Amino acid sequence: MKDINEDIAWAKINTDVLRSLESPRKLYWVIVFGALAVFSVAVGCEVYQYNMGMGVANMDNPHVWGLYIATFIFWIGMSHSGTLLSAILHLMHADWRKPIYRFAEAMTTFSLMTAGLFVMVHLGRLWQFYYSLPYPNDRSLWPNFQSPLLWDAMAIFTYLSSSVIFLFVGMIPDLAICRDHLHAGWRKKLYTVLALGWEGTDRQWRNFRVTYLTIACFLIPLAVSVHSIVASDFAMSQQPGWHVTSFPPYFVAGALYSGCAAIITLFIILRYTFKFEEYMTLAILKKTVRLTFAIAMVWTYLNAVEFASVWYSHDIASKEVLIQKATGPYAIAWWGMIFCGSVVPLILAFKRFQTNIPVLLVTSLLLNLGMWLERWMIVAPTFSHGIYPWTWDHDQWPSWVQWGMVFGSFGWFTLLFMVFCKVFPSVSMYEVKEMVYHRTLASKKLEDSGMQESGKGAH
Amino acid sequence: MDNNFDRRDFLKVLGWGGAAVALSGCGNTSVEDGKETVVSYVEAADYVMPGISVYFNSTCAQCDAGCSITGRVREGRVLKLEGNPDSVINRGKMCGLGQAGVQHHYNPDRVREPLLRTGSSGETITWDKAYALIAEKLNGVSGDQIDFLTGTVSGHLKALLGNYLETLSSKNHYVYEAISPAVQRAANLKSYGMEMPRYSINKAKVVLSFGADFLGAWVSPVHFSQQYAEFRKGVDGQRGVLVQVESKMTLTGANADRWLVVRPGTEGILALGIINALGVAGLSLPANVSALVNAYDKERVSKDTGVSTENLVKLAAMLKERSPSLVLLGSAAEGYEHGSQNAAAINLLNQVLGNVGKTVEASASVPFPQIAPTIGNTAGARIVNNRLASGQTKVLFTYGVNPVFTTPAEMGFKDNMAKAGFKVAFAHYLDETALQADLVLPLDSALEDWGTQVAEYQPDGVQISVQQPLMEKLHPNTRGMGDILLALLKQRNPETYNAFDDYYAYLRTALLKNKPQFADSGADDDVFWNGLLGSGIINVSGNLNKLSDKMAVDINLPAPVEKDSKYPFNLIPSVSAHLRDGRHTNQPWLQESPDPLTTIVWDSWVEIHPKKAAELGIVEGDILQVESKSGSIKAQAYLFPGIHPDAVSIPLGRGHEAMGRYAKGYGVNPFHILNRVFDRETGELAMHETMVSISKVGKRVIVVKDEGAAGGHQDGRRIALSVTSDQVDLSEEV
Amino acid sequence: MSVTNLLENWAEFRHTHPVDDVPHDPYKWAMSIDMDTCTGCNACSVACYAENNLPVVGKDRYEHGQAMHWMRIERYWPEDGREFPDQGAQFLPMMCQQCEAAPCETVCPVGATNHTADGLNSQAYNRCIGSRYCSANCPFKVRYFNWYDYPTTENVWPAEMTMQLNPDITLRGKGVMEKCTFCVQRIRAGERSVKNEGRILRDGEVQTACQQVCPTNAITFGNLVDPDSRVHQQWKAQRVELTVDEQEKDKEEGGSDLRGYRILEELRPYPSVMYLERVRESAI
Ligand SMILES: Nc1nc2c(c(=O)[nH]1)N[C@H]1C(S)=C(S)[C@@H](COP(=O)(O)OP(=O)(O)OC[C@H]3O[C@@H](n4cnc5c(=O)[nH]c(N)nc54)[C@H](O)[C@@H]3O)O[C@H]1N2
Ligand code: SF4
Ligand code: SF4
Ligand code: SF4
Ligand code: SF4
Ligand code: SF4
Repeated sequence: MKDINEDIAWAKINTDVLRSLESPRKLYWVIVFGALAVFSVAVGCEVYQYNMGMGVANMDNPHVWGLYIATFIFWIGMSHSGTLLSAILHLMHADWRKPIYRFAEAMTTFSLMTAGLFVMVHLGRLWQFYYSLPYPNDRSLWPNFQSPLLWDAMAIFTYLSSSVIFLFVGMIPDLAICRDHLHAGWRKKLYTVLALGWEGTDRQWRNFRVTYLTIACFLIPLAVSVHSIVASDFAMSQQPGWHVTSFPPYFVAGALYSGCAAIITLFIILRYTFKFEEYMTLAILKKTVRLTFAIAMVWTYLNAVEFASVWYSHDIASKEVLIQKATGPYAIAWWGMIFCGSVVPLILAFKRFQTNIPVLLVTSLLLNLGMWLERWMIVAPTFSHGIYPWTWDHDQWPSWVQWGMVFGSFGWFTLLFMVFCKVFPSVSMYEVKEMVYHRTLASKKLEDSGMQESGKGAH
Repeated sequence: MDNNFDRRDFLKVLGWGGAAVALSGCGNTSVEDGKETVVSYVEAADYVMPGISVYFNSTCAQCDAGCSITGRVREGRVLKLEGNPDSVINRGKMCGLGQAGVQHHYNPDRVREPLLRTGSSGETITWDKAYALIAEKLNGVSGDQIDFLTGTVSGHLKALLGNYLETLSSKNHYVYEAISPAVQRAANLKSYGMEMPRYSINKAKVVLSFGADFLGAWVSPVHFSQQYAEFRKGVDGQRGVLVQVESKMTLTGANADRWLVVRPGTEGILALGIINALGVAGLSLPANVSALVNAYDKERVSKDTGVSTENLVKLAAMLKERSPSLVLLGSAAEGYEHGSQNAAAINLLNQVLGNVGKTVEASASVPFPQIAPTIGNTAGARIVNNRLASGQTKVLFTYGVNPVFTTPAEMGFKDNMAKAGFKVAFAHYLDETALQADLVLPLDSALEDWGTQVAEYQPDGVQISVQQPLMEKLHPNTRGMGDILLALLKQRNPETYNAFDDYYAYLRTALLKNKPQFADSGADDDVFWNGLLGSGIINVSGNLNKLSDKMAVDINLPAPVEKDSKYPFNLIPSVSAHLRDGRHTNQPWLQESPDPLTTIVWDSWVEIHPKKAAELGIVEGDILQVESKSGSIKAQAYLFPGIHPDAVSIPLGRGHEAMGRYAKGYGVNPFHILNRVFDRETGELAMHETMVSISKVGKRVIVVKDEGAAGGHQDGRRIALSVTSDQVDLSEEV
Repeated sequence: MSVTNLLENWAEFRHTHPVDDVPHDPYKWAMSIDMDTCTGCNACSVACYAENNLPVVGKDRYEHGQAMHWMRIERYWPEDGREFPDQGAQFLPMMCQQCEAAPCETVCPVGATNHTADGLNSQAYNRCIGSRYCSANCPFKVRYFNWYDYPTTENVWPAEMTMQLNPDITLRGKGVMEKCTFCVQRIRAGERSVKNEGRILRDGEVQTACQQVCPTNAITFGNLVDPDSRVHQQWKAQRVELTVDEQEKDKEEGGSDLRGYRILEELRPYPSVMYLERVRESAI
């Protein structure tokens, strides 16, 4: 099976991709309006919560964090998809990533923006959020640089801004194509500005490559650090179930895991919605699926490591939290996490499912459900069964406001994503061209050397 | 003032009968006649200086213990109440109930205008109209047809009330307290020669308390808590030991070194059993006592009471060895048909142990009978109820009581009230009783009013606590009870009472008349008066009562009752230090202050022993129907280890159907399902004699409480630690 | 935290408390609570409501664990499986322990909760953004968050009730974290008043509201560095040291005759509250 049809004409690539900016299937509009509706639920919840106070989310003392923080981690995890595909695979010269990295990068940006929203809605005094930013002020009033939450704020801002730049820089040649192919109108003006005068000269290409590579290199440690820092929110605390040394790698693995799963989901949706069957091929999907399977196993291993280290430690409180997760009021969610995160991915080991679109769609959604549950199970049980027994609390259950906000965040994310896909080329035209070109060359070489094309090992 | 009435009348008017005072003229000043000057705010008095707190002493009126308090006042409003360190009763301390006094004062649900019922609706009227109406309604009614039902009264208010009754030619002042150690008083009078001797917990090496919740709601909790602290620090370096005997753990029981659960009603048997065991242990007993307790050998007593023979012997040994001890008697032992007998047995134990004169000491009597407290009991409401039922009462005045809420429904107080032609309630809130009245007269809060209070329990001499307003009235149309009585007296006897502009003038005159009793008679009136207001306290030595130690052996205790299969549980209506009989339930701090033992807030509950609950398949939060012969109520179950398995307990004080937003609709009222059973000797309501059945109604709620899911267990963490007395050395402690 | 601190004292920053080379001068506020005299009466808790403008949240809010009692009286049952708790219950007054190395302080993103020079864990309401991280990391769970806007939308002080409010402290709106402050407004007022006299506060001149009301004097509060203070003497008699995490009492083989200990000391928050163990008679 070939990653891509080597006979696609370059002009066709342009037409096909540019078409996605103009006439997607009807489903596109259904999704956009659906997303808007879902998002408006979150807006409603936030307006209510903002006016009434955080109590309507039904958190309590001491159960002060809930779904917001869990979902925040979830979206941060999602954001690792783009960096993985664009930056890591770019450096590894895995060129099968080319048709899909653009939307993965967009995912990174938008899931970070979604994650940021959760930090905001979580704050009791949202209107004062800027106190947590290190802006210069004449009272020398700085935030507390010791707080992992502050590192979070800085890491996320850095990651978000870098991701946006990365996404943008990677798009410049394509924006120029858009500029050159579209009729006059607001879009043309937009692309003209954004294309930064790209002409495709050698010098531009050379500078472009260097810049792109540099940002990619910069982004990788950033991605790792962001989730390590999110892990520190917990690992740096003194709470049972949280102060676990293996949390940073565990969180990063989880992030890559959920990122990959999300790529599969979006791959399938975009492929259909924007008629990208020719570019988002099943061969590429298969590679993504295999990668996902590998990461799932890493995550499972790290989970086991965490349980084992808690179990064999002498920290009674932590052990109790673990037992409580498995047997207490959260048991369903916790076992759900184990099932979705460690059992469901076993499907991906079977070859015949690796290209089965319906199975993969369901599986990828289940994997992400599992990863979301994982985050919830990190956050909540520690509060209901902490160090101090007097305050144990097993009745805390998120209110509809929290659920509404979690639900709505998917609408927000989808909305951003869909708008992006409609305004910007979600498949990288110039890179697909490169890919087609390179593959053609490679096939030619094989033919010349008298070997049969095997569909495997071209790369 | 005119001198046209004789001296004895005057003394009576002022409530100083029994004290020798001289009499002189006095006048009232006013700005108009130039005797007073107006001082400009350029030189503001310190109590109106913005930002500066000033402190005035007054008296806590939240219960009858008579604690002297210091109110913090700023910009003319009272902010917080603190204890007055000079008071021998509370020595600078307070209880939570007392703290909440400001919420009585600022309560948004106070009655603000005189209200007149016309048919089923009410209207606001003026005070003049209200007074005129009273005069009109009293017209042609004989003194015998006029009843006053009040709570415990003392001080000058009592004197004025007495005077008013006299002008009405009525002798019908009934003093009612729903929760009152009245049986004990009668028993004490027999055993010790006085109703309320002084108890010195701090001097005792062992305190054996039969359900006396002296750290909670009993008699003078702040005072006894302080004694208790001293007792714990030790007498002669030996830490005091507290043994509590009761069927439902009280706050005091929760602090005991040994909490002995006893079959409800068998407290007297246990007391006699201990005397028997003391005899066995070698304590010499008078022959008649010996004869009395002969039958109470440890096996029998253990069988009857459920207290193990081992504990009985140990307890007797300790009591014998560590002297002096102190035996206290609380409402749990009193609340039976044979309550007086229980009380007599328990007092006898004290006498046998030789505690009388050592830890049970003579109290002083108030030298001015007219202001000495008249203590309420439950008989007060019973008599009035009977009079109402038989139509003897035509006009009923109520003050400081809420019998519609606090009497058993079976008594029918509410319906009987309707039989009186005219009912006047002097009230702070529209409580259940005020709602039945024809005329509701709104009272000043305790923090707006003048007064004097004399507590029943006097730890050292006699302390007259002075009550003075801590701020201006919040509502212009409320009146002090003293002012109302004065106005009513002026209706009947203007010559005498027109001399007093208001209750303040009356009080000042009365106290100044007695200056020689308290101070150097040459002292300047104003200096004396200001000093008195400054300290908030008048200490007089009083006359020491004569302590007698007459061992009564005519004690006849019934055998423990067999279980009734229809109503198998003893109902223990428990009294909490914060809510008492429910008159303070509308103070939100108290509603939200967790019950110390269950940590439940804002609601009622049924305590049941976990073993029994398991037997009946009851879990926490199950709504239980608790049914007695006289009615039933529904409340949530709480599994409570500190209760006899054959008893259930429901707290008193909640279950209001009126009294404002903070009280109405929270919890249930167990007063209403109490059976009409009375102590045989005193006629007091036997509060613990009600037997009930319980059944699940098939509903479950989340119990609203502070205790978390761990249910009060520390789960092996080192949080609240405890040691045994042989492991520590308290003598080196600071 | 200033940039200077960040650059120059990074390693030292959170170490300054508790170490001997930065002595608390002239004050270090501390407490001791005697659980043998504490009866669990709750008077202290009510006094704290009165003094510190704590909102009464009502039954529904309480049910959801949103109570605001800075001082809570915990009631423990013996865990020996006996049918009746025949040595009574055990009461523990629990409020902010004013930790010297407070886990809540390090995590606050905006530095709204801080250590003061006189050894208090302070809470700057206007700086707090309501992240609740401090509460998440407090081992004692004594931080209380304003889940609702109690003074306004919740109207917990209707009508005249507002007149009771202590003007020395703010009312906290929604979204702010709060907790026991050791009645800091009383401490500051006391300090100001003696400053005019050019001296420092003497023992007993400042009382916390809970201490003041406590009928059994179970609570002692004062300046730990003042050798004349009762709290100093009590700590000393119990050989409890502020700056260590294991006390003499626990080191002694086969038990000791001391009663003083600090709760969860092993986590090294270095609490400023010493508890004295409850005693129960051994002869009965
Ligand atoms: N038009 C107009 N102008 C006025 C006035 C007016 O009535 N009308 N009034 C004048 C008067 S009286 C005054 S006092 C000034 C007030 O003017 P400012 O002193 O500027 O007061 P704010 O803007 O309220 O607050 C300043 C900033 O402090 C920061 N901050 C919040 N919490 C903290 C904290 O804990 N520590 C520190 N260091 N900073 C914090 C916030 O970022 C906030 O924006 O305005 C004056 N200007
Ligand atoms: S014991 Fe009674 S008088 Fe004393 S403070 Fe408490 S309520 Fe007030
Ligand atoms: S006031 Fe004193 S005795 Fe009462 S609970 Fe508080 S600390 Fe304990
Ligand atoms: S007890 Fe909790 S809130 Fe108080 S200082 Fe310690 S960690 Fe902070
Ligand atoms: S809730 Fe307030 S004090 Fe606590 S960590 Fe967040 S910002 Fe700091
Ligand atoms: S020290 Fe003050 S703030 Fe802290 S619990 Fe006591 S009264 Fe409340």
